[in-house]
Amino acid sequence: MIELERNSELKNSLKIFFTNPTAVVGFIIFIIYVIDALIVQFAPWLLGIKNPNVLQENFVNPIPLPPSAQHPLGTTYPGIDLLKAIEAAIRIDLAFSLIIVLGGAAIGATLGIISGYIGGLLDDVLMRITDIFFAIPFLVLAIAVGFALGRTYESMIIALIIVWWPLYARYARAQTLSIKRTPFIDAARIAGVRDFKIMIRHILPNVLPPIFIQISLDLGSVMVIFSTLAFIGLIPNASLPELGYLTSLGLNYLQSAPWAVIFPGLAITLFALAVNLMGDGLRDVIDPRRRSS
Amino acid sequence: MDKVLEVKDLELKFVTRRGVFHALNGVNLELYKGEVLGVAGESGSGKSTLMLAIGGLLPSNAWVTRGEIVYMSKNIIQELVKEGDTKYVKKRNEKALKKLNEKLQSIRGSKISTVFQDPMTALNPVLQVGYQIAEAVYYHNPSVLARRILARYKATKDDMREILSILKNKEDYNEKLLKFIKGKNLEGLEEQVLFIWERNDLHDIKKEKLILSLAGEKVPRTALPFLYKIARSNKLERTPILSRFIKRILIKEGYRKAVEILSILKVPNPEKVVYMYPHELSGGMRQRVAIAIGLINNPEIVLLDEPTTALDVTVQAQVLDLVRSIRNKYSSSFIFVSHDLSVLYEVSDRIAIMYAGKVVEVGSKDEIVSKPLHPYTQSLLRAVPSIESEKISPIPGEVPDLRNLPKGCMFHPRCPYAMDICKNQEPPMYNLENGHKVACFLYGEKK
Amino acid sequence: MKLWLFILKRVIFAFITIIGITFIVFALLHVGGNNLLLSAYINPRLTGPAREQLIQQLTIRFHLNDPIYVQYFYWLQALFSGDLGYTNTPIYSGPVTTAISLFLPNTITLTIIAAILVWIIGIPLGVYSAVKRDSALDHSVRIFSFTLYSMPIYLIAFILIIIFGIELKILPYAFPINSVLASNLPWYKDGISYPTHIILIDALIHGNLTVFWNALLHAILPSLTLALSILAGIIRILRSSMLEVLDQDYVRLARAKGVPEKVVINLHARRNALIPVLTLYGYTIASLLGGTVVVESIFAYPGIGYWTTQAILVNDVGGIMAAALIFGVVFVIASLILDIVYALIDPRIRY
Repeated sequence: MIELERNSELKNSLKIFFTNPTAVVGFIIFIIYVIDALIVQFAPWLLGIKNPNVLQENFVNPIPLPPSAQHPLGTTYPGIDLLKAIEAAIRIDLAFSLIIVLGGAAIGATLGIISGYIGGLLDDVLMRITDIFFAIPFLVLAIAVGFALGRTYESMIIALIIVWWPLYARYARAQTLSIKRTPFIDAARIAGVRDFKIMIRHILPNVLPPIFIQISLDLGSVMVIFSTLAFIGLIPNASLPELGYLTSLGLNYLQSAPWAVIFPGLAITLFALAVNLMGDGLRDVIDPRRRSS
Repeated sequence: MDKVLEVKDLELKFVTRRGVFHALNGVNLELYKGEVLGVAGESGSGKSTLMLAIGGLLPSNAWVTRGEIVYMSKNIIQELVKEGDTKYVKKRNEKALKKLNEKLQSIRGSKISTVFQDPMTALNPVLQVGYQIAEAVYYHNPSVLARRILARYKATKDDMREILSILKNKEDYNEKLLKFIKGKNLEGLEEQVLFIWERNDLHDIKKEKLILSLAGEKVPRTALPFLYKIARSNKLERTPILSRFIKRILIKEGYRKAVEILSILKVPNPEKVVYMYPHELSGGMRQRVAIAIGLINNPEIVLLDEPTTALDVTVQAQVLDLVRSIRNKYSSSFIFVSHDLSVLYEVSDRIAIMYAGKVVEVGSKDEIVSKPLHPYTQSLLRAVPSIESEKISPIPGEVPDLRNLPKGCMFHPRCPYAMDICKNQEPPMYNLENGHKVACFLYGEKK
Repeated sequence: MKLWLFILKRVIFAFITIIGITFIVFALLHVGGNNLLLSAYINPRLTGPAREQLIQQLTIRFHLNDPIYVQYFYWLQALFSGDLGYTNTPIYSGPVTTAISLFLPNTITLTIIAAILVWIIGIPLGVYSAVKRDSALDHSVRIFSFTLYSMPIYLIAFILIIIFGIELKILPYAFPINSVLASNLPWYKDGISYPTHIILIDALIHGNLTVFWNALLHAILPSLTLALSILAGIIRILRSSMLEVLDQDYVRLARAKGVPEKVVINLHARRNALIPVLTLYGYTIASLLGGTVVVESIFAYPGIGYWTTQAILVNDVGGIMAAALIFGVVFVIASLILDIVYALIDPRIRY
């Protein structure tokens, strides 16, 4: 009986999601990006990319060329075909964003659940810590942390995870607090279930859905921030295909070759848009209040 | 008695995503001058919707399919009903409602005013209470405010002394006062003078001083011509910067008028209250403010939508007392909506009972309470707990789903006396003696 | 609770937060075992034996041989006495405090103009988008702000530059002022204007309207970029807040009283709708500081952000440390001011 209910609930949710046109569009775009990343990862030759971790430079023709049959999106300095570069960069950026968001969410949610459940001094301290983290503009925090850890991609990722976890901690804590007050938690405790099990079995499943939505929304924001950091040069020249770095390559040619700067940026924008629409759609599914508006 | 308002066969539906709610299904109602008409019914009976319709406050998804509301010999909802209209077209309906709103602008708030149920949500939390009252006058009768200011400006101390001698005469000073004021062209002064004179919290000497001080008000020279213009035409000044200046003067005067009316409504310390915000006042005071807004323009009809429901019982009693006392001062007619029959008995002259969007019985309050005819009314009275009786008999069944109304008489599923005819035909309204009307086949033969 | 009590609580909290920020910065300075603290306080102009001597002095002053919590204490002391170390970047070399006084005003100029732009553009759009719900205006506003929200700041900057600077050629997009014009000004050197360091005000002080206008034009695109980057959030919140307010009883009552629709929207509804927006507004303005890092570099506008990017590129520890501290502190102070303003505006909080 319960199995049947669960299945139909899933079907119901999917149905609601797919009746929302913008959410579906977002989802499709998201899938396209994911597919691109997978292809570049496992079969880069399909897209004409020899080495997915390095930008193919062409010093014979370094000046950016406008879009043509040979280079559908044009080229940027030094002679890098934009289409291939963006395709390769998507994989990198997507991977980074996923690591950052999932890492931040995992750490944050865990701390948030524990803090919310146990309460008391631990909770207060955690709250103050997150407040302080929120007080610093994340860009600056990321710069400071990244700088301290050395200017590499890895340290950037760690920096952003550090910037991101407080949000999830707060979120998870709020959810935990509202669930903590429900009688069935008390019932479980009286029945002698250990705290740890309670947290995993009862609280976690209720905390996960909004966290999940937030993750999908954050994927876009994080990619934007990460590429911005790469753009301002926080990550030294590593010739790694990355959308922000790609953008910075075309800086000197803003007047003569605007496409060099616009296209990588658009790739990010499109992803962020898609992911936001998707997240909105998910929110409609999970938060029943929004459905009836 | 003259009829001040008549609702004829009003049919209204609400179109929502969850279905079409048949809120009003042929409402017939009459309101006579100077009376208090109580309207009783449970939630879903349509009483609030009826108030919205009369007050011109219908939301955009309200679809009027039949009927009229006649006020001042005009059908005020004429635009909404088109002959032969069977489909609901959202845009067309919204447009019609918008036009209606514009047309009713001059009536709403000045000739027909509404007092809402919950004073906490009905008052704007970020605006001073006095402002919200003053606003009601400013947008409808700025000439009243202008005239008051001008009257004080023109009056001299001698004028005031003469007025005092008239007042002290004790007999019939109202008429003499008005004649004097008219003679000296000081309209607008009488209500200010009378307000001070009729207060009972001040010493006579203090009253005299206050009345004397009314004379010779200083008015900025530049504002004078505009005040005269407004006093004559009752239209607001439109020029951009100047209008703000004038508005400030008039609103300030509005605050004074607000103090007067709050004092009549027995609000203590009205001079301080007008500068306060809604959350600083108690529930009873807030409701008085809401009533003040409803009364300040001397409307012909005041609609009170469950004004006591959100209040404590003791405050409820105060407010009811208030409504009774202001009846004498203001010659308006009131419609008082409540689900509580005992409350209605206290304040109304006549009571109308509504069920599922129709008026099922109407009569004088004594008739209704002592000789209820409609089975629904009877069960309502039985369902009210009283100190004497021991049994409470709730009405069996549930309020009908407004999307799916039963055929025939809408009460028949719950009626202990239901006959066959009740299941198929809607009963017409039968006119019995003493103005007592009932819509029930039980009384069919007695025509 | 009383107003002053509320303010006191907020001030104390702000203070604690600032201490927390110093703690984080201090921790970062010691990550990975490097003692970056030292390099932050060495005057770059010193070399040789003088430098050695300085290092000795600093080691004593900051108690670098003592346990770490002692070091923290002495470093805090240095901070509060106004010594924030030295910075060594192409744009400026010298004490950090001087650098701040030179660059911060420009950043503040941009931020203030951006804040004004957000207010002027965002409020009407948000209000009317809600009032005319589901209309063409509403949909286009929502699409527009949604797209903006998804764009990285540098893309917004580039698009603006391309449209207004390159194609239409009506707005300049580099430096705070035309360099030709600048070379003739005795009170303007190397991107810094005197006496107030704010070009717009100094131009007025010196009575030079051409320069004022030129500087204003130069400030438009960077400010606009900043404004557009946060506009989306503001419009979104204002719209949903306004929708909620328009449903309220008091709005209906205002209409029932006969208040003209325009007044109902702009006075009754808007004043209530703005309350939640204000908190967001303040927060986003304060976080604009992060955005200036990118914007100033793109537009070559000499502000704190530009200085920060330079510091990053040349590994200038003093600069980075200072930047982190400044941004954090300014943000906290701005939030504090905002909280107080909020308490003043919403009468419900006052008592």
